[in-house]
Amino acid sequence: MSVTWAMNPTLPIVLPLLGAFLLQPIARVSAALARAVGPAILIACLWVLTETWLAQGGRPFAVAIGGFAAPLGIVLYVDRIALLFAAAVPTFALLFWPWAGTGQEATRESALLLLLVSSVTGLALSGDLFNIYVFYELAAVASFGLVAIHATGRAYVATIRYLLQSAFGSLLALVGIAILYTKTGTLNLAHLAQLAPSTLHDPLGLASFALMLIGFGVKGELFPVNTWVPEVYATAPARIAALLAGLVSKLAVLVVVRLLVLVFNQPEAAQLMLVLGAVGMVSGELSAWRAKDFPRMLAFSSIGQLGMVFIAFSLPGTTGVLAGLAVAFHHLVVKSGYFALAARWGGSLESLSGLGRRSKLAGAIYVLFALSLIGVPPLPGFWTKLIVLVALAQHGSLELVAMAAILVVTAIEANYLFRLAVVLYRKDKAAPAGPEARAPGLGVGLVAPLLALVLLAATIAIVPVTEGLRKVAAQTVDVASYVRTVFPPVSLPLAQKD
Amino acid sequence: MRNLASLLFSLGLAFLLLAIAAQLGFGHTPMVVGSRILADAQSDIGAANIVTAVVFGYRGFDTLGELSILFAAATAAGLVLGHRRAGAPDDPQGGLVLSAGADLLFPLLLLVGIYIVIHGHLTPGGGFQGGVILAAAFFVSVIAKPALRLAHGAISVIEGLAGAAFILIGLWALVGDGSFLKPLLGHGVLGQLVSAGTMPLLSSAVGLKVGSELAGLLAHISESEAREP
Amino acid sequence: MMSLSLEAILYTGAIGLVVIGALGLVLSHHLFRMLLSLAVAEAGGNLLVVLAGYRGGAIAPILGYGAPGTPMVDPIPQALVLTAIVIGVGVQALAVAVLVRVYRAYGTLDLRDLVEHMQGDIAKAAGIPRSTSTHAPGGERPLPPVPALVRHQPRGGRS
Repeated sequence: MSVTWAMNPTLPIVLPLLGAFLLQPIARVSAALARAVGPAILIACLWVLTETWLAQGGRPFAVAIGGFAAPLGIVLYVDRIALLFAAAVPTFALLFWPWAGTGQEATRESALLLLLVSSVTGLALSGDLFNIYVFYELAAVASFGLVAIHATGRAYVATIRYLLQSAFGSLLALVGIAILYTKTGTLNLAHLAQLAPSTLHDPLGLASFALMLIGFGVKGELFPVNTWVPEVYATAPARIAALLAGLVSKLAVLVVVRLLVLVFNQPEAAQLMLVLGAVGMVSGELSAWRAKDFPRMLAFSSIGQLGMVFIAFSLPGTTGVLAGLAVAFHHLVVKSGYFALAARWGGSLESLSGLGRRSKLAGAIYVLFALSLIGVPPLPGFWTKLIVLVALAQHGSLELVAMAAILVVTAIEANYLFRLAVVLYRKDKAAPAGPEARAPGLGVGLVAPLLALVLLAATIAIVPVTEGLRKVAAQTVDVASYVRTVFPPVSLPLAQKD
Repeated sequence: MRNLASLLFSLGLAFLLLAIAAQLGFGHTPMVVGSRILADAQSDIGAANIVTAVVFGYRGFDTLGELSILFAAATAAGLVLGHRRAGAPDDPQGGLVLSAGADLLFPLLLLVGIYIVIHGHLTPGGGFQGGVILAAAFFVSVIAKPALRLAHGAISVIEGLAGAAFILIGLWALVGDGSFLKPLLGHGVLGQLVSAGTMPLLSSAVGLKVGSELAGLLAHISESEAREP
Repeated sequence: MMSLSLEAILYTGAIGLVVIGALGLVLSHHLFRMLLSLAVAEAGGNLLVVLAGYRGGAIAPILGYGAPGTPMVDPIPQALVLTAIVIGVGVQALAVAVLVRVYRAYGTLDLRDLVEHMQGDIAKAAGIPRSTSTHAPGGERPLPPVPALVRHQPRGGRS
């Protein structure tokens, strides 16, 4: 079935770029038009992706850009997991869009957000390794600009440290790509999947994977390249932190998973990821326990949860990918909701005393998310942790250590999350407020309640959601089907060039 | 102590990388894809410079991403640097040699830059290389005479429209021929200035965008004040 | 590898650049020097990518220069490096812009001082009292004068 030009997966990547380029010229003509461009483009991207899903019904297809068939040109590969992540991008960008902004600063911020959306969609859809690297760099540069928006000295210092760490990681990824290219001579993921068993299953290939893991792991908040996280989330606006922690980190993990499943299908590579994930998880949650203000507590907690995502994805087969997807999407919803609350809860933890009694909805949402994060049945968090633990229990001793680590970490999480809940519902009226802590607002905005509703909906529909994710996971690990879709056997009619 | 640990880390990294390099074959690369591109480039795209054929043809999507990265860097720098106060003191002007040299170099650099941009599909060069030289032409003047102000509004319009032109050419190929960034407009004669289809157009758009963008970015940095007012 | 062939020199050079850059980035505490080290490391990385496409005795991949039939080097790594260099330029330019604002805000580019300032500002903005262990080891009250030093005052310049 042919793909019409309106359903072409290049559009969700290219349209936001076009919008970003034209935003400033448009703003000189009409400010109101410029404010509408961003959301309009995001809705258009969402529409294209939905149309593609409805038309293809989950069957994977590949689009060769410029008409140059793989492996000469770049291909976009669209399967269930790619569509799932690609659809999450404009959704969450719309949720956290800066609606109230005027002037040239707001135009620049919208342009950077559109660039971030485009690059992250490209990360989900691309099937070429260097193309992924280029989109990763675009996401990085856009995020450098976005985290410095508050224009305070501390934001700039956090930005430059983030920049230096990210640039060094990208350099390591480039060296890894150089080694990979020297050994195989190609950059197309499907072609690499074909060539990998003969060329990359040796220490050199493992070194290349390690370099790329560290490089792409900067955005995935992987240990040891996650020291930028707490400072940046404490000094950036909460909506940007929500996008980075919730959305962008998951796409970075998706890149690593694609590499692991398609190209580096070796136990050593998976074990490396497991170890780094476990260390990151434990160190992150311990630091979260010691944190004294809400944004940094969330930052360390997201490091911990992403460590668990890496642990889950390192397990082989459908169960590993299913566990990883479950944790990743649960974290996406919960952490974004928490950062939406953090927009108003910027002060120290002590300054939030009694907030739960004054703003009942905010307190209830906080407790709901906390229960799900810790893993209290019947909330989705319980099921995700259960899937991960069961999958871990079926493997070797290293995985059992990881399982023990997850149980310990759950206890630590419960401690600091409930500690804050106790503070929230304290009875004393005299709350020590920090000099710049926000006055507790009467409402929590729309985003946090919306995400809480999503969580509750997932609780009710947990069985169909799990089944859907299982189908996504099964398709992701099917390497033979990936290669067959990009390089169709010659006897069949030629794959669509569009 | 920290220095010792860092030194050991770097020595370990060096040893590891050298061990890696020792096993890499040099001069005997597999060139699985490269040789096919070398064979097909003339018939697919019609440019004499195969590297440019790869940059704007086979991997045109990467080039679009690269353009966007430069744009993101310029926009982010604009966001970070903000505006200069109206009455802020300028840096001291360069001496006679610098000003005279800048005046002499400006048209020469522009000429060399434009040459490299439009001959990108024939000889080593292309949009990015020529664009950087175009930006250098403006920046030499800004260094020599810090009182010179570039028109940032015009620059942002030029870079926006040039980038949009690149994407619109690609979208035109999508709507008309079915593939985003497919080469259009016929190959022409190999080695002529007018050949290789839409590639010189893409190259010129890139050159214009990169030149204006880098010039604006560097001028913005040069204009920003170093101390709080 | 000790034969000092062209390949050994080039590879050692490229990796040496990466290592020198990494060393500079890790050891240095002046932001601009860290940025320069990053630039050096990126140059080394780009060189490694270009080396991935080299073929012994081949010419540049431009049609019409060599005799038809001479082997040409791989054009793909050259295109990749073009992209990587431009990305590096963009990131470095943005880094310089952020450095200018950092200097304007705090008056120094020494990373150790800047981290102190940043942590202090974050704590102050959130209303958290700074931990006193490094700043005032004795807590808020000053330590009592050490009797040994009080009694034996140095006389006339001799310690």
